Amino acid sequence: MDKKPTVAILSLTCCEGCQVAIFDLGERFLEFLTKVNIGDFRLAEELPDVKKYDIAIVEGTAITKEQLRRLKIVRKKSKILIALGACACVGGPQEIKDYRGNKNQLIRIVYPNVRGIDNPNIKSVKELVKVDFEIPGCPINKEEFFRIINELIAGKKPIIEQKPVCEECIRKNKMCFLLLGKPCLGAITLAGCGAICPANNFPCDGCRGPRKGIKLEAMKRALKFKAHMRDDEIEMVMERFGEKNEYIKASKKI
Amino acid sequence: MKIRIDHIAKIEGHASFTADIIRGDVKGARIKIEDGARLFEGILRGRKDEELPEIVSRICGVCPVVHNLTAHKALEKAYGIQLDETSIILRKLMMLGQLINSHALHLFFFSLADFFGYKSDLQLINAYPEKTHDAVKIRDIGNRIVEAIGGRSVHPVTPVLGGFRKAPDSAKLKELLTDCKKIMPLVLRLGDLFNQLKYPAFHRETTFVSLTNSEEYAVYGGKVKAGKLIFGPKEFLSLVKEFQGPDMVAKRTKFAGNTYMVGALARLHNNFEKLNPEAKKLLVKSGLEFPCYNPFYNILAQAIELLHCFEESITLLELLTIGEVKISEPKIENRTGEGIDAIEAPRGTLFYDVKVKDGIIRDLNIVTPTVQNIANLEADLEEFEHIEGFKGLKKEERIDRIKMLIRAYDPCVTCSVH
Repeated sequence: MDKKPTVAILSLTCCEGCQVAIFDLGERFLEFLTKVNIGDFRLAEELPDVKKYDIAIVEGTAITKEQLRRLKIVRKKSKILIALGACACVGGPQEIKDYRGNKNQLIRIVYPNVRGIDNPNIKSVKELVKVDFEIPGCPINKEEFFRIINELIAGKKPIIEQKPVCEECIRKNKMCFLLLGKPCLGAITLAGCGAICPANNFPCDGCRGPRKGIKLEAMKRALKFKAHMRDDEIEMVMERFGEKNEYIKASKKI
Repeated sequence: MKIRIDHIAKIEGHASFTADIIRGDVKGARIKIEDGARLFEGILRGRKDEELPEIVSRICGVCPVVHNLTAHKALEKAYGIQLDETSIILRKLMMLGQLINSHALHLFFFSLADFFGYKSDLQLINAYPEKTHDAVKIRDIGNRIVEAIGGRSVHPVTPVLGGFRKAPDSAKLKELLTDCKKIMPLVLRLGDLFNQLKYPAFHRETTFVSLTNSEEYAVYGGKVKAGKLIFGPKEFLSLVKEFQGPDMVAKRTKFAGNTYMVGALARLHNNFEKLNPEAKKLLVKSGLEFPCYNPFYNILAQAIELLHCFEESITLLELLTIGEVKISEPKIENRTGEGIDAIEAPRGTLFYDVKVKDGIIRDLNIVTPTVQNIANLEADLEEFEHIEGFKGLKKEERIDRIKMLIRAYDPCVTCSVH
């Protein structure tokens, strides 16, 4: 891109923690802002919207009809659309309800008055519009984001290497959580986070979604026999970020 | 005449505002939440207790620490788990880090532009480059505190039932202590900046609710002070009525039939005597007197708290850097019970009520600060024509003033829709 690219940072329904992670780049984010034109960035401005975006960064999932309408408009306006974070990439925790039986009963637990509250099945952004690039994680790894966005602005095609979290894990071999009987999803999860959870004594919970060509059945067997989990417990772990359907897809693409 | 503001910018989450003005009087002022329902209270039923703090962190990316820790506290209360002193200090520090990063974000990046009439932070950044760098450096300390103890600043991972999974690195804590002291003059400068701003006059009496604690400025725990009355968290919550009408994706609350306000101004109001020295000095300098029923001063209250949090962080870091930090993770025998507890989130008191049987969550109720504040904010907005100088303003300027009032509350729409 020759001139300053126009970048929009938008959010649908989510915790907005991925935008916060971008803010957390601090001084580097301030410098980044000088290299681009801001198309839309509601967290920091309220200027009138522009007609076209070179890059739209979208976090969250479209739950309300208005958000779905807006997502489709954003897609039309954008040359490149990036899905940011677990919600946008795999559905996020809000997708748990789709795996838990009757969502129309579930909503009544929370709301006495359900009229006018949208309760659709949760879809990741790529299930609704074409996505050019995905930056996974809950939250995103801000360093990875910074690399990717700079590569895109420089006209390069960024790549997230297809390898498991285990390859980045300081606990691999002797201290492996799975071997110690803990429910760790590192083996089937896409690396790029620096295995930050296992480094903090927390088993990988798969927030970045699956890498391609996983052996799902082998993972399930390991959870069953190493971590002594029942089938329903395994299912629950795999749906935390809405990624369960993605695991099934990823295990077919070998 | 109808007033409508679509997509209020510079707040956490999505909301719009509508009201009618009938013969100069505001009617039906309503904040409409534009985020989708995520049903956290529903999806957690039937899941394991240890998943609760992890999943509820995802309610809010600006204040994940408070959801994580309040969930832990409620479970610990249900199970009768006592924490050791070190774990409590570490959790308090995480809270201070959370308050610092959230307040710095709201003060500088969400609120300040309103006082200068800027429509974008980029204008603010260009006009005040030095102040911007100060704000970024201050906020960064908050992030680093949470990261050093929690393992990650957004959605921390180290807290566990009864303690921590991992001890923070001593070298990192020492470095943080040095940097907190180094950044302190910047915080004082930012405090002065917010003290010199002109806050629009506005007055509507309400009840201020916050935690209170005889030992310290309550952040991590204490009893609930509502006006002049003091309750335990459980007792208070039993007097709070949550209500929700059609099309309302965020609930509202009333206490004893009335709206009430939580957040920095409420905390300052209830606990200003417990502020650290520099924060107290700024309060005295500001001339702010209590009771102060002007929600615009919630902004100044946050600036005073920011100073307090830095002073408090320095005190706690000094304690932690005397020797090695040793952590423990207790064995839990009983996993059945009900626990209700609260914390002071950046935007006010956050309550969790959880019922568990044999380690499986049976019922969960979360009452967030913004859920408690919306009814009070709407009641304020019913009287927005009484904001100082409002009558002389043009329509666009009036809308700006209304947005400024909404932003002064620092609403977290994301939290309100859980």
